[in-house]
Amino acid sequence: MKHVVTVASRELQGLFVSPVAYGVLSLFAVLAGFFFILGVAWFSDVVVRAQQFQAFDVLADLNLNDRLIGEFYGSMSVVLLFLIPGITMGLFAAEKVQGTHELLLTSPLTIWDIVLGKFLAGALFVLLLVAVVGFYPGLLFFYGDPELGKTLSGLLGLLLVGWIYVAIGAFASSLTRSQVLAFLISFVLLLCLLLLPAISELGVAGGGASVGAILSYLSTNTHFEELVRGLVTTSDLVYFAVMIGTFLVLTKTAVETARWR
Amino acid sequence: MLRRGSRVIEARGISKRYGDLVAVADVSFKIGKGEIVGFLGPNGAGKTTTMRILTGFMPPTDGTAIIAGHDIFSEPLAARRCVGYLPEQLPLYLEMTVTAYLTYVAKIKDVARRARAPAVDRALERCGLTEVRSRVIGNLSRGFRQRVGLAQAIVHDPPVLVLDEPTLGLDPLQVRDIRQLIADLTSPQDGNQRTVILSTHILPEVEAICQRVILINEGRKTVDAPLEELTRDGRSLEELFARETTHDVAEEVES
Ligand SMILES: Nc1ncnc2c1ncn2[C@@H]1O[C@H](COP(=O)(O)OP(=O)(O)O)[C@@H](O)[C@H]1O
Ligand SMILES: [Mg+2]
Repeated sequence: MKHVVTVASRELQGLFVSPVAYGVLSLFAVLAGFFFILGVAWFSDVVVRAQQFQAFDVLADLNLNDRLIGEFYGSMSVVLLFLIPGITMGLFAAEKVQGTHELLLTSPLTIWDIVLGKFLAGALFVLLLVAVVGFYPGLLFFYGDPELGKTLSGLLGLLLVGWIYVAIGAFASSLTRSQVLAFLISFVLLLCLLLLPAISELGVAGGGASVGAILSYLSTNTHFEELVRGLVTTSDLVYFAVMIGTFLVLTKTAVETARWR
Repeated sequence: MLRRGSRVIEARGISKRYGDLVAVADVSFKIGKGEIVGFLGPNGAGKTTTMRILTGFMPPTDGTAIIAGHDIFSEPLAARRCVGYLPEQLPLYLEMTVTAYLTYVAKIKDVARRARAPAVDRALERCGLTEVRSRVIGNLSRGFRQRVGLAQAIVHDPPVLVLDEPTLGLDPLQVRDIRQLIADLTSPQDGNQRTVILSTHILPEVEAICQRVILINEGRKTVDAPLEELTRDGRSLEELFARETTHDVAEEVES
């Protein structure tokens, strides 16, 4: 396990030497700004109208966290769904094409060293992305009084969702030597994960409520929304840990199996 | 010459199948400390596959290998620590500088923190890379990249070197340089005798560097003898190669 950090730091260096990382970061910051401004504009518009019409019940119901920050986090989780496969697609595929995985696999590293190192690199990059997201609601503390707890638990939710996406992206990348294919595989897996509640609704018609409940429990969004609402429960945290762990084990198995073929 | 206990590489009945294709079939050999062995065979004979097994890149379907006393199955990390490997495709991160790359390799090869900088300096010097140490690998010529490949193989000062077609794709001058470099690397230094197995299908290369020849054809070992025995009475390696390998492939081999 002692080489996890070595592998991770080389991976991050590789990421930051290439223009891709900076491209992804700037695109992400711009998109975040765009969605945030859109949210603020919509929110103030609603406030102004409600005041004009003296609609106090609407005003009482308006709340920065639920109506603005929560929506913003939701949009950014969708942006992550598109961006993270682009970051993770090279984790293993690029090593195979460069021939460097022959160096890794003939060095005294365990497969866990490699897999966890790759995941750590991706996880730290996502931490950076989430910090960028956090900057925007941070601005609101100067102009309003959002709840700190909810703001932070939502960010934690976004971070954990991003980490699941990294684990899935790493798995996809371990299956192939083509980065394009790795991107597509992880994108499709992430979409399935996102759409599970919709699938579960279809399932209720035919399959029964319990199947629906399971599918919706498996969906990342169900747990993400709880955190955005400020509810940090052990069961949600366990869900994130189990999902990340499962895909890391799958990745390790894939790397190992490729070796035996 | 082959005293028991001094043997450093031992292949025991190695076989490797890819699906239905038998790439290596029941290959055994023992290589003693300090020996430099040319691993010969036409393209597709199974040289790379055998070397990948010796280096721990992939396990054999059958049989096992012992590297410096460590079985590749029961002590994989210890076995890999004893090997320096130059794969057929150079394992380079093109965006890294030469020094950063070699430092990284030293780390993952378990070179202790304090020994790392001297180990990298020594590898740079032995491979003639000191002048380009701060250059980005992607900007180096093919010949220099090959040197970086050799440098990563020796940075942790391994007792065993496995070199897969080390002069492939180089121009004649670069070939001469790299051959000289390999000869230097394998000459005893500080009392450390390196054991080397190097694959090639260039026969003069074998005559220039090696003491012993192992020839494989279609995954089977067909010849295993000292070079001087094979070239005694004015016989040439070429005749041997033509006789012992499958004919249509043998015709493609020249130079
Ligand atoms: N990963 C692989 N999957 C399937 N077949 C392979 C693979 N690697 C090598 N082979 C086949 O195994 C045989 C031996 O290949 P190789 O060991 O690369 O030979 P050499 O290095 O002597 O040219 C060849 O027929 C080759 O096509
Ligand atoms: Mg080969």
